[in-house]
Amino acid sequence: MKPETLPADANDPIITVRHMTKHFADFEALHDINLDVHRSEVLCLIGRSGSGKSTLLRCLNFLEQYDGGEVRMGGQLIGWQDGPSPRKPLPAAALRDQRKNIGMVFQQFNLWPHYTALQNVVEALLRVKKLPRAEAQARAEAALQEVNLKEKADSYPASLSGGQQQRVAIARAIAMEPKLMLFDEPTSALDPELVGEVLNVMKKMAAEGMTMVVVTHEMGFAANVADRVAFLDSGRLVACVPPAEVFGTEPADPRIRAFLQTYRERNVV
Amino acid sequence: MELGLYLHYGPALVSGFAVTILCWIAGSLGGMVVGFAIASLQHWAGRPVRWLLQAYIEIIRGTPFMIQLFILYYGGPYVGVVLGPVEAGILSFVVYGSPYFSEIFRSGFESIPKGQIEAARCVGLGEGSIVRRIILPQMLVLITAPLTNFVIILSKETAILSVVTVPELLYQTQTMAAETFTYIEPYVALSLFYWLMVVATTWLGAKVEARVTRHLRRA
Repeated sequence: MKPETLPADANDPIITVRHMTKHFADFEALHDINLDVHRSEVLCLIGRSGSGKSTLLRCLNFLEQYDGGEVRMGGQLIGWQDGPSPRKPLPAAALRDQRKNIGMVFQQFNLWPHYTALQNVVEALLRVKKLPRAEAQARAEAALQEVNLKEKADSYPASLSGGQQQRVAIARAIAMEPKLMLFDEPTSALDPELVGEVLNVMKKMAAEGMTMVVVTHEMGFAANVADRVAFLDSGRLVACVPPAEVFGTEPADPRIRAFLQTYRERNVV
Repeated sequence: MELGLYLHYGPALVSGFAVTILCWIAGSLGGMVVGFAIASLQHWAGRPVRWLLQAYIEIIRGTPFMIQLFILYYGGPYVGVVLGPVEAGILSFVVYGSPYFSEIFRSGFESIPKGQIEAARCVGLGEGSIVRRIILPQMLVLITAPLTNFVIILSKETAILSVVTVPELLYQTQTMAAETFTYIEPYVALSLFYWLMVVATTWLGAKVEARVTRHLRRA
């Protein structure tokens, strides 16, 4: 597939993906992915389980090592040293510097259970940003305020609901002031009645101009909040288009039609 | 029971107890440090190093402590390792204990969900911070009980050191028994000393456990 043609009003992309491939042993998880994500854009990745959405997302911050092609952020190649192949991975410190700009939220929240909500947020501010404790504390409290959880600052994760835990995880990521936020099925592990509170926080972030890449099965969120929707099938990026072209009219690609059909049958969309 | 005997042999028994404690604590701490290093290397080092360490673990766990002690103390001089009894005792404890400790630490490392480590990497925490701030505090919860258990086992293994003339508690007790032809008095004293060590270890283990599980209780 050819590189994306940019929307007319787009500014420079925050992250560019060119001819990216990823294999797990003999299995081709991602095939020639080309993608741009622009400043303040919300891009939703949709597709069946095993289509490569999460793998693509995890390649963007090098939690998975993509093996071919390039992911660049601000011109910098993510994860690999620039140079002739075979490429070498970046030294740990350089990779950490890149990751500081990319926040990530996981399906399983991945909070540190031995720290309170506030300590979960403070940790990286102290140890990565090296802020003085008072300043780190204040900034962490502000981040918890952003996700409406200031009153839970001293609670341990075990005493929080799934939705609250996920919001703490979001606060932990945004406190680092990333340029890009990645969400890996942020509501898939939640009870249905808790999904809304997490999506509302994400909508607010989108409205405030955060650049977001979201792997999701929440078609309503994709339809209403995303600027573009990327559909993956068998490791290939089939389409990357405004949501109206996926959800509004009957999509042209039969794979997308078949995928959406399963949601329509459940009256989700 | 002839309690008067204790007046005469008390100092020797107490000095034996002191040597036992020295070998036990130094050996346990050394074993823990080496065991932690082995577990860390097994976690992060390349395959050849991991295989070597696995071989070390298998060999040490597969042979009796007394044989290892004999080889170190009596065999050592043939390869230029000449150690006094106490030094040999402590070193053999480190060698003998480290594989068991490393296995306890390994199970601790593996108990931390990978997602928590990924989350830590994503906010830019370095490997050192991840171990100290994320892995260790949580794995201590799981490994305190097995660590305590093994330290208690080691406390009683110190008796074996008497076979290479380490002047520890059993050695002194046997001397007392041989010189006075009494058996009840020396061995009652010996049992009491070992019991004290075990009680103290259990108490300390419970203290540590209470401290490292704070976050689980305070909801």
